[in-house]
Amino acid sequence: MSKVSLVVDGYLVQAEPGETLLDAARRAGVEVPTLCFHERTGTRGLCRLCVVEVEGWGRPVPACATEAQPNLVVRTETEALAALRRVVLELLALETDLSHDAGTQTLLKRYAAHPQRWSAPLADRREREPVHDNPFFVRDYAKCYTCRRCIDACGEGVQGVWAYGTTGRGHAAVPGTPLDLPLPETPCVFCGNCLQVCPTGALVPLEELSLAEGGLS
Amino acid sequence: MGKPTPHTPHPTSHREVPVMTPRVSPDRIVSTVCPYCGVGCRVDLYVKDEKIYRVMAQEGPPNYGALCVKGRFGLGFLHHPDRLKTPLIRRRKGAELEPAGWDKALDFAASRLARIAAESGPDALYFVSSAKATNEENYLMQKLARAAVGTHNVDHCARLCHSSSTAALSRSLGSAAMSNTLEEIGLSDVILVAGSNTIETHPVVGARIKKAAREGAFLIVADPRRVGLAEVADLWLRLRPGTDAVLFGAMARHLVDAGRFDRGFVERRAEGFEEWWQSARAYTLEFAEETTGVPAARIREAAERYADARAAASYWAMGITQHAHGTENVQALINLAVVAGQLGKPGAGLNPLRGQNNVQGAGDMGALPNVYPGYQPVSDRHVRKRWKALWHVRQPETPGLTMTEAFESIGAANGVRAVYLMGEDPITSEPYQDHVRAALEKLDLLIVQDILRNETFPYADVVLPAASFAEKHGTFTNTDRRVQRIRPVFKPPGEARPDGWITAQLGRRLAQLLKRGWSEAWNYAGPEEVWEEVRLVLPETFGGIGYDRLEREDLRWPCPHERSPGVSVLFTDGFYTPSKKARLLPAPWRPPAEEPSDEFPLVLSTGRVLYHWHGGVLSRRSALSQAYPELKVEVNPADAARYGVRDGQKVWLTSRRGRIRATAWVTDRAPEGVVFAPIHFAEQPANRLTLDAYDPTSKIPEYKFAAVRLEPANDVTPEAAGPG
Repeated sequence: MSKVSLVVDGYLVQAEPGETLLDAARRAGVEVPTLCFHERTGTRGLCRLCVVEVEGWGRPVPACATEAQPNLVVRTETEALAALRRVVLELLALETDLSHDAGTQTLLKRYAAHPQRWSAPLADRREREPVHDNPFFVRDYAKCYTCRRCIDACGEGVQGVWAYGTTGRGHAAVPGTPLDLPLPETPCVFCGNCLQVCPTGALVPLEELSLAEGGLS
Repeated sequence: MGKPTPHTPHPTSHREVPVMTPRVSPDRIVSTVCPYCGVGCRVDLYVKDEKIYRVMAQEGPPNYGALCVKGRFGLGFLHHPDRLKTPLIRRRKGAELEPAGWDKALDFAASRLARIAAESGPDALYFVSSAKATNEENYLMQKLARAAVGTHNVDHCARLCHSSSTAALSRSLGSAAMSNTLEEIGLSDVILVAGSNTIETHPVVGARIKKAAREGAFLIVADPRRVGLAEVADLWLRLRPGTDAVLFGAMARHLVDAGRFDRGFVERRAEGFEEWWQSARAYTLEFAEETTGVPAARIREAAERYADARAAASYWAMGITQHAHGTENVQALINLAVVAGQLGKPGAGLNPLRGQNNVQGAGDMGALPNVYPGYQPVSDRHVRKRWKALWHVRQPETPGLTMTEAFESIGAANGVRAVYLMGEDPITSEPYQDHVRAALEKLDLLIVQDILRNETFPYADVVLPAASFAEKHGTFTNTDRRVQRIRPVFKPPGEARPDGWITAQLGRRLAQLLKRGWSEAWNYAGPEEVWEEVRLVLPETFGGIGYDRLEREDLRWPCPHERSPGVSVLFTDGFYTPSKKARLLPAPWRPPAEEPSDEFPLVLSTGRVLYHWHGGVLSRRSALSQAYPELKVEVNPADAARYGVRDGQKVWLTSRRGRIRATAWVTDRAPEGVVFAPIHFAEQPANRLTLDAYDPTSKIPEYKFAAVRLEPANDVTPEAAGPG
């Protein structure tokens, strides 16, 4: 199959057929910021942080979920995109405790985000109690912005046990177990591959938590 | 639209550092290899204040960013109070173990070993190496036996797990390892998994096989138990325990009979077809249905799917090997692969899933009584001459005893009098436990070298505290022949030292006392120097694998030179037999050694569960024991009703050799007539029930078939659980 030629931020890129705009950008050495995307879990297209502009297309598209096509002209950093990303990040920061998420904090700075311009931090997600229901790790969903990587790692992406799903809908959707069952009562095998891909520190080994808390006291 | 602006790399990109949160900032991150199973997952250990607080999988093969519960949460044993920290000696039988310095303990051990060797000959000594130790340490252990002492009495725990695979693969194909690699799982159109509870025992591989099945590979599972993979299989062959050779024999026979075998492959690349075919004729589909209990149509479909696939891989483990006819079971799988032509191409092959992190390496390094490193046979005069030249010391002519034979011989005339155990706990791992206890009591000298206090510890005359995988340098070889570096995370606790150092110290002393070779030859500067010796003596296999290359490259054997990346798919050009052809050999089925009777009507099968590891010495000293605290035996609902057992009730399992108390788990995972007991619980040892029937070729014990009786335990006193 022939390669797909397109332009990303002025660079001519030869992408393999089936690759996404994100893959194409990475081929050119262009880093598009991502939050939910993960190669192993197959998570994509949720956080809208990786949106890019394509010349002639009416609206921005998520780079991680859009297939590269011949002769596209793609821009990954524009003022409009920066504004969009800024809002996405601000809304995440409003309702999530990002104190242990170094990556997103860096992005917040990079896009000059000021979450407070919308409102005071929203309590209903931030005040969720950590779930400690197994001998290995804690699920501290106050720190979770529902990127779904854990759900995909548990199911289709890696482990194939589907112990997690989302509960609630739309804005209130959060990862959790079916019927809020404790993990030992689900098909969970405690591989911790959810913890492996968690970008925010919401899923954390007990050992790490006790070390951190011991360090504070 | 604005013009492009310069970019900075995104800090959480998967190409950059692994996901990391600043809740705790690590003092250091050490890249090493998981110590549990043979998959050989590569891990990053996050360390703060001399404690591992997070284990992250590395990207790339063999584990591609995934781990299982044992590797991720099961390393608590490293800091357990039962870690051995000082050398101990027992001056005479009946005395207490007392602490001693290293020099004193080593002198004591070496002089006792030398005295017994002088009195009864070198064959009165026995050396048990370890599939948990590094390649370097295994090499030294067999060198200690062969060079410093002058006996081939050396073995390791693969005797109890894949010795039958090794025997059958060596004689048929000339190589005793996975023919293909774990990277190729996604390339197979058909995957046949036989006698392997992969989801629990090799979880990372299990998850990848499951994913391959979701993505379209046709998954055939042959297992009496409804194991995790059976639940997602396209075709589950629920055969009766112990009838594997009939099943695979009938599949191969059907292919030839129906003309659907790979005639070209058999004619060009195999030999012994006629003789095999004569032996296989009796295995008709009807006979197989009657014997295995699997409908003939299913056997036919499995055979045809396997043979017609562009690439079909077979994976197997203890369900095939741990039988008194284990070698024949493996041979039947080999014959099937040969007649179907499923060898020597990507995504195909014969793939024994090895249990221990370095069991492949222990065999490669010659920790076996009949072969030198590189599987060079002891019985070959030219081979002995070569090793004599390499080590400058005369080589004994007769092969040594296998571990199972050695334990049998204790107490007999010309039997074994002294045993040196490196990381082995025979009381929990050998069959017929009461027999093993009696044997150990009769020993004149028992040296226990381990990281943790184990069940065999009370019988020791010398205790040598060893460093764990996280406290030393070296290499492990995983199940698909990948040689990987391990690196120290901590200093060993107390006075514990790496196994290799201890063995080399004993080697130097024994060489001196027994006047065999140069004792200076045992002054190794470290593991790398040992490895350089391995490369020198086995250039065809390891010549290209140096520590420096392992720092930056993925390498597997055979890797003959510095530019070789290591061969992934074996047998593309020829087999490693003298004729370069695969040998088809008869694989006659025999019934199990002990048939169920009126008194013992059920079949006991033993094995592992997800949360534990072998004798439980490691896993039960970590957080894993909270997830699976006590012995549960799987009982089929029909049997439960028949013997009046409820789910969760305490039961007695009794065989002709003893009884154990357990909790019943009533589940249709176990077929009717079969109970399954995990082996991890030293105080409720499944091996009190198993029998010492051995495969005649490989001497592997029949762990997977013993006749037992099941009764509800009506009493509730814990004393009743005492020695039965």
